[in-house]
Amino acid sequence: MSSHAEALCRNYRAYAGARILFLFVVILLLLGLTAIGLSVGASGMSPLEALSALFVDNGRAHSIMWILRLPRIVMAVLVGFGLGTAGAVFQAILQNPLASPFTLGIGSGAGLGAVTVILFFGGGFQTYRMALGAFIFSLVSAFIILGVARMRRASSETMILTGIAQMFLFSSVTSLFQYMGTMEQVQEVVFWFFGSLSKVGWPEIGLAALMILLPFPFLWRRAWDLNLLTAGDESALALGVNVEHLRMAAVVSASLVTAGCICFTGVIGFVGLVAPHITRMIIGSDHHTLLPSSGLVGALIVVAADTLGRTLWAPQVIPIGIVTSFIGVPFFFYLLLKRSREYW
Amino acid sequence: MNTTRPKAAPSSQKSHCAIEWAGKRLQILLCCWVLGGFLFFAPAPTLAASLSITDSLGRTVEIPQPVHRIVALNSDILEVLRTLKAQDLVVGVFSEIVREPEFWGDLVQKPKAGSWRDPDLEAIVRLAPDLVIAYSRNPGPELEKKGEALGFRVLRLDLYRIEVLEKEVRALGLLLGKETEADRFCRWHRQHLDAVRSKLDAVADPPSVYVESYSDYHAAGPGSGGHEMCLVSGGRCVAGDLSIPYAVVTSEWVISRNPDVIVKAASFGNGYAVNNAGPFNRRRNAIMNRPAWNHVAAVESGRVYVMDSAIWTGPRAIVGIVYMARWIHPGRFPDLHPGDLHREYLEIFQGIPYKGVFVSDDIAGKAP
Repeated sequence: MSSHAEALCRNYRAYAGARILFLFVVILLLLGLTAIGLSVGASGMSPLEALSALFVDNGRAHSIMWILRLPRIVMAVLVGFGLGTAGAVFQAILQNPLASPFTLGIGSGAGLGAVTVILFFGGGFQTYRMALGAFIFSLVSAFIILGVARMRRASSETMILTGIAQMFLFSSVTSLFQYMGTMEQVQEVVFWFFGSLSKVGWPEIGLAALMILLPFPFLWRRAWDLNLLTAGDESALALGVNVEHLRMAAVVSASLVTAGCICFTGVIGFVGLVAPHITRMIIGSDHHTLLPSSGLVGALIVVAADTLGRTLWAPQVIPIGIVTSFIGVPFFFYLLLKRSREYW
Repeated sequence: MNTTRPKAAPSSQKSHCAIEWAGKRLQILLCCWVLGGFLFFAPAPTLAASLSITDSLGRTVEIPQPVHRIVALNSDILEVLRTLKAQDLVVGVFSEIVREPEFWGDLVQKPKAGSWRDPDLEAIVRLAPDLVIAYSRNPGPELEKKGEALGFRVLRLDLYRIEVLEKEVRALGLLLGKETEADRFCRWHRQHLDAVRSKLDAVADPPSVYVESYSDYHAAGPGSGGHEMCLVSGGRCVAGDLSIPYAVVTSEWVISRNPDVIVKAASFGNGYAVNNAGPFNRRRNAIMNRPAWNHVAAVESGRVYVMDSAIWTGPRAIVGIVYMARWIHPGRFPDLHPGDLHREYLEIFQGIPYKGVFVSDDIAGKAP
C-alpha cells in the first residue's frame, strides 16, 4: 500500500473513531439527562427516592414514576429521535439545509389534522383520533410535495417553496377554524400548538414508537444512496440510484415519523431543523452515522427542553416548543459562528 | 279703520330725526358688538347632558345622554342589558351569539359587529351606535383610537368579575335610566352572596380545591375568575400561590397538592341547550381516570365536579358560586338551592324559561 493510501486509511480510521466516540458521548449524555429528568418533579421527592420508586412499589411515588415521569421521558426521547432523523432525511433528499418537517409544511399539515379533529369530531378516544387526523394530513402534505415534484420535475428549491406555501396555507386554515370553535376548543388548539408531553401514556408511546422507529431500518439501509443524493441528482443517477423512487420512499417514511412525533405531543418545532445541522457540523455528512446521531441529538434537545420546562418556573410549565427554541438557537448560533469551514 | 297717512316732518324735525337715527344706529351697533362678543367668548351651549362613568380600567368616561344605540361586544354585557330590560337599545351584537340561539332568542337576529376580541369596525360604524361596550382588555386600545376617529364612544366593563359586578351594573343602570332594574338585580345578587359568605365565617380550615380552566392542566390562580369563585365559595385554592392567572401545571403537581375537591370548567357551546348531564359526566370521568390521579383525595372520594361556562364567572357566577359552595362544604348549605337560584335568575331577570344542564352533578343542580 502506498504511503498516500496508508494516510487515507489512517485518516478514515481516525474519522470513524471520532464518529463512534461522538455517538458514545451523546448516548452517555442522554442517559445522564434522562436520569436527571426522572429525578426532578413537582412532588418533592428526592432524586434517590425517585429512582428507588422505579423499582419498589410504594404507592403514590411508584405511580408518579411509572405513570407520569417515565412515559414523559420515554416519549421525549422518541419524539426527539424521530424529529432529528426526519430532519436529516428531508435535508438529504431535498439537498437543502432549510428542509425540515416544519419548513416543508408537514408539521403544519399534521397540526391542521389534529385541529380538525378537536373542532369537528369530538367524542371518545380523542387522542387517537387526533393522531389519526395528524397522520392523514401529514401524508396529504407530503404527497402534495411529491405530486408537485413529479408533475413539474421539480428541483429541491421548488419542493421547499411548495412546503413553505403549504405551511402558510395550513396555518391559515387552522387559524380560520379557531374562529369556529368554543373557548375550550380554541384553548385546546393553542395548547397543542405549543407542544406538550403531559398527556402521553404507555399506549400512546407504543403507537408513536411504531410510527417513529419502524421506518428507521429502511432509511438507514439507504444511507449510501442518501450520501450520493447529497452530491446532486445527476451524480446519484450516474451511480445507479433510482432518485425518484428513493425520494418518494424517503418522503413517505419521514412523514410517517413526523406524524408519529407530532400527533401525541403537538408541535415541537426547531428540533428537526437544528439537530441534523449540529450533528453534521461535528461528525460530517455520512448518513450511516448522521441518521442515528441526529436522532440522538434531537432526543437530547427534547429531553433537556422538557426537563427545563418543568423545573425552571415550577410548578408552572413552560411549553416544550418554546424551550426547544430557547436552548437550541443559541447553541446553533455558537456552532455556526465557531466553525470556520463550510460543513454543508 | 284708521287709514290716514302720517304727515311730512318739518326740516328742524328732520335734523333732530337724523341725530336721533344716528344715536339709534350707534345703539344697534353697540348691541350687535356686545352680542357678537358674548356669542364669541361664551362657552358653547350644551346640546345634551353627559354622564361620567368609571370603567373597569379605572378611567372616567364621559357618555353623552341619552344613550339610544348600543353595540354589545360580549355575552356578559348583553346578559346584563337584558337584566336591565334594555335589550331594545341594542343595535349590534358579537358574532359568537349564533352559537346560543335558544338562550338569546330574538337577539340572535340583531346585526353582527364581529367577534368579542376582534370586532368589525366597519360594521360598528354602519350601526351608528352611541356606545360600544367591551371587556377591559379585549379588544385592544385600538378600539378607542379608531372609535374616536369613526365617531363612536367605547365603555369597557368587566361584568365577569364578582367584586365589580354590582358596581358596574348600577353604573350601567344609571347611564340607561334603568336604576330600578339595576337595584333589583344588585339586591338579589347581594342577598345570595351574603347568604354564602355568612355561613363560611366559622370555617377555620377550608378544604383545598383544584380549579381547572377549560384546557386540561390549566390551573385557575390569582387574578382568574375561577380562583375568585373558589375563594368566595370558601375553598382554599391549591394554585393560590402561583404567579399567573391560568398557569399550565403538571399532573404530578396536582397529585402532590392532593386537593380535596376538583372543579373543572367546561364549555360545550351552551349549557342552556344541553338536555342531559352526559357531556359533563364524561368530562368528569376523564378527570377521574387521569393517569395516577387515583392517589388524589378528590378522586378517591368522588368529589370531582364539572361546571358549564354559563355559570362560571359572568353575571350568573352567583349560581356557580352556590354550586361550588355546596360541593366544597357539603351539608353546610341545606337551604341554598342553585337550581332554584338559576331558575329565578333566568325567569325574572332574563325573561326566559329555566332549562338546560349546567353541572356534572345532576342531583344538586335540579330544581325541585
